[in-house]
Amino acid sequence: MAVTHESRLEFKPEELLSSPKFDTPLMAGGVLCHGGFGADGNYVSPRTLWRDPAVRAWQEQHLKTSPYPLVEIPQDVIPPHLPSVEQAKLLLKEGVREPMVRTLTEIAIVEGFGATIRDLPVPPIASFIREDVTGTALAHLTGGLFEAHARDEAGWGAEGGHKQMWEAARDLALSKPKVPGDILMAIMGRRGGGGRGGRVLPYLKEDVERVIGFMTNVLIIEVFAVSTFQWAEDVLSDPAVSDAPKDAADMVRYIRADESPHVQYLRTALSEISARTLIGEDGKEHSGHEAVQAMLDRSLRFIIRQRREDRREQMHASIRASAKGIVKDVEGLIERFDRLETPWQPPARYLEAPADASAALAGR
Amino acid sequence: MHPIARVYRTARTAVLAGRVYTSYKVPRILDRMRGIDPDKRDLSEIHERNAGLIYRNAVALRGLMIKLAQVVGTRSDVFPPEYVKVLSQCHDAVPPRPWAEIAPVIESELGRKVDEVFASFDRVPVASASLAQVHRATLKSGETVAVKIQYPDIDQVIRTDLANTTRLCAVYERFDPQPVELMPLLTEMQKHLAFELDFRREVQSGERIAELFKDDPSVRVPRVHHELSTGRVITMEFVGGIKPTDKAALEATGIDPLDVVQELMRIYTTMILARGFFQADPHPGNMFVNAYRTEHGKVVPRFTLLDFGLSKELPDGFGYGLFNLMFAMMTTNEGAMVRAFTELGFETKNGDPSTLLLIAKAMNRRAAGGQFRGEFTDEVTDDLFNTIRENPVVKVPSDFVLVGRAFSLLSGIAHTLGGRANVLNAMAPGTADTGRRPS
Repeated sequence: MAVTHESRLEFKPEELLSSPKFDTPLMAGGVLCHGGFGADGNYVSPRTLWRDPAVRAWQEQHLKTSPYPLVEIPQDVIPPHLPSVEQAKLLLKEGVREPMVRTLTEIAIVEGFGATIRDLPVPPIASFIREDVTGTALAHLTGGLFEAHARDEAGWGAEGGHKQMWEAARDLALSKPKVPGDILMAIMGRRGGGGRGGRVLPYLKEDVERVIGFMTNVLIIEVFAVSTFQWAEDVLSDPAVSDAPKDAADMVRYIRADESPHVQYLRTALSEISARTLIGEDGKEHSGHEAVQAMLDRSLRFIIRQRREDRREQMHASIRASAKGIVKDVEGLIERFDRLETPWQPPARYLEAPADASAALAGR
Repeated sequence: MHPIARVYRTARTAVLAGRVYTSYKVPRILDRMRGIDPDKRDLSEIHERNAGLIYRNAVALRGLMIKLAQVVGTRSDVFPPEYVKVLSQCHDAVPPRPWAEIAPVIESELGRKVDEVFASFDRVPVASASLAQVHRATLKSGETVAVKIQYPDIDQVIRTDLANTTRLCAVYERFDPQPVELMPLLTEMQKHLAFELDFRREVQSGERIAELFKDDPSVRVPRVHHELSTGRVITMEFVGGIKPTDKAALEATGIDPLDVVQELMRIYTTMILARGFFQADPHPGNMFVNAYRTEHGKVVPRFTLLDFGLSKELPDGFGYGLFNLMFAMMTTNEGAMVRAFTELGFETKNGDPSTLLLIAKAMNRRAAGGQFRGEFTDEVTDDLFNTIRENPVVKVPSDFVLVGRAFSLLSGIAHTLGGRANVLNAMAPGTADTGRRPS
């Protein structure tokens, strides 16, 4: 499909929510999903008719007018997926499917929760940003961008979204397995997102900090998901372990394609904040760039440290609970499983104690 | 139970049933005689009058009658809203029994005189309910305890009432051409009542909940003195605290009322969606809040949960099914709603799944004014159950009704405190909804 160029910077919500025309809708395991196929047979993501060109236009505008490049999440902070491709294949070849069912179902659930972005209360932009934001992604967050993101993740109307698409990938590859009854326990057990320590930007109103923090976290999760997509494609496309190697892997590819607009609009909006002056709770002015960098730094530290060990423990527990009666030597299986983990160390700069953000970011 | 009392109960129950029945039938006959379609008659006035009549009789007769009235007050999927509104007040309407009737139960159950076991015993109860009342007492060790005592003869009263009610229902269902199905409700009640009358089960349920939250400092279940507890008496530590709806008292202790909402939702969502076992009656009288200070110095709420008589084990996969239903409602996805209804055990009496689709469509139509955002408010649950009630070919799993009612009660507490009882927010870390109501 040809890439359209858009010179305009203002879009109505219904434009940002509108989809290109599809020749064939996407059906997965009997469930209608969003998106579809063009005349050339290629997959086309939903709600991208105007959203894609709009985001490109805002990015160009930002690069023309700002000294800062677009916000980037460094590639070396993205941990390899756990379980690794080889670990997942080992379990499936041994007939221990439940950990994989859990993993794919948890991904589906977490994707579904992405829809709560539409409930993020955004204060009037002019109340916390000094400069004009007309014709920016920022000005369109609650004017279609968050809603489009929410619909992509959880579905809308008759169309399933990523939640249903991940479920379809799971059901195709593993022939509609039974979902463990306690699946939600693991998700809720990971609560504590609110416990990331004190405030990072105490000079801003709390709701302003929440908006910046939420968008930063979602951006990091979306970028980290790259390793999840690659992992899922590699595992689910292997006919030795997947019951529908092509269809299941294709489903993951479609989801991956849909996620790109999310990464792009979030980094654009955060970049636009970076290039502007924030108004503190007491009316003082603060650097948007420093605020965004501080939030990215804190979120990356938290996510990098938090995820891996917890995940390993959950995998072990899931193998122990589900491998009994399937393999003779469960502990031996766990040892073999651990040996196949992709080794990874977070970059040293994220293991050091953080600088005192509030001191560094004193009002100008 | 004295034979005269039994005859009196039977007669009063029969007269009540007769009055309710004729109040519906006579106007229908008259309408037909006048050439008017009886199905077009507005019944709300008759519903309201009958609800009041049943309420007064239930409070007077107690026993199964008050239990039945309480159940009707929770089943907006089956009964019209006029009944639900009036009979839901039965929870707070049970007068206590005199000490002279209660003391013999304690003595026969514990095998000793009251003053041999307790250093002191308040003869005026601190609370009374349909099956039992609670007194404050002090053990010889000096510990203050709460003693829950089952009413004397309550098991016999309930047996008599069950027999009467079953007979009346059988007669009604035999002669009425379009009867409301009451027998399944009675059967379900019979099962629940057997559990509720055995206090050992209640103790076990409380201890199971305590085990679920053993590593969670924000939940507390009163410790039971097993040696002073039997099938009809429970002696447990006395825990006082603030009613969760008393916003001023919470604030006076330094607790943010919105923290109360979030914690309460987390606790119930954990029980219902993640653990599959829950205390199914979270009305404000069944819990206390106390303040405690975390290691970071923040004052946060700690909940003491009380009364585990109505605790429920949910079927495997129920939590995931409910979660999927919420998502389907949130995204107005009718196909996904039908799949979730099926996962949750909804059935159509004629085996036709398209009826579930009709319900999903009706729910979407009702929700046109506001999309579901994760909170089972009174309006959402009323809409849901009204839609179901209008499609009588659908069988609703009783677990779903109990859970819907529990979330609706929690929503009531949340709104009193100025918050929102958002189930999805309670489930997941870092979701966007802060639980605060829009100002």
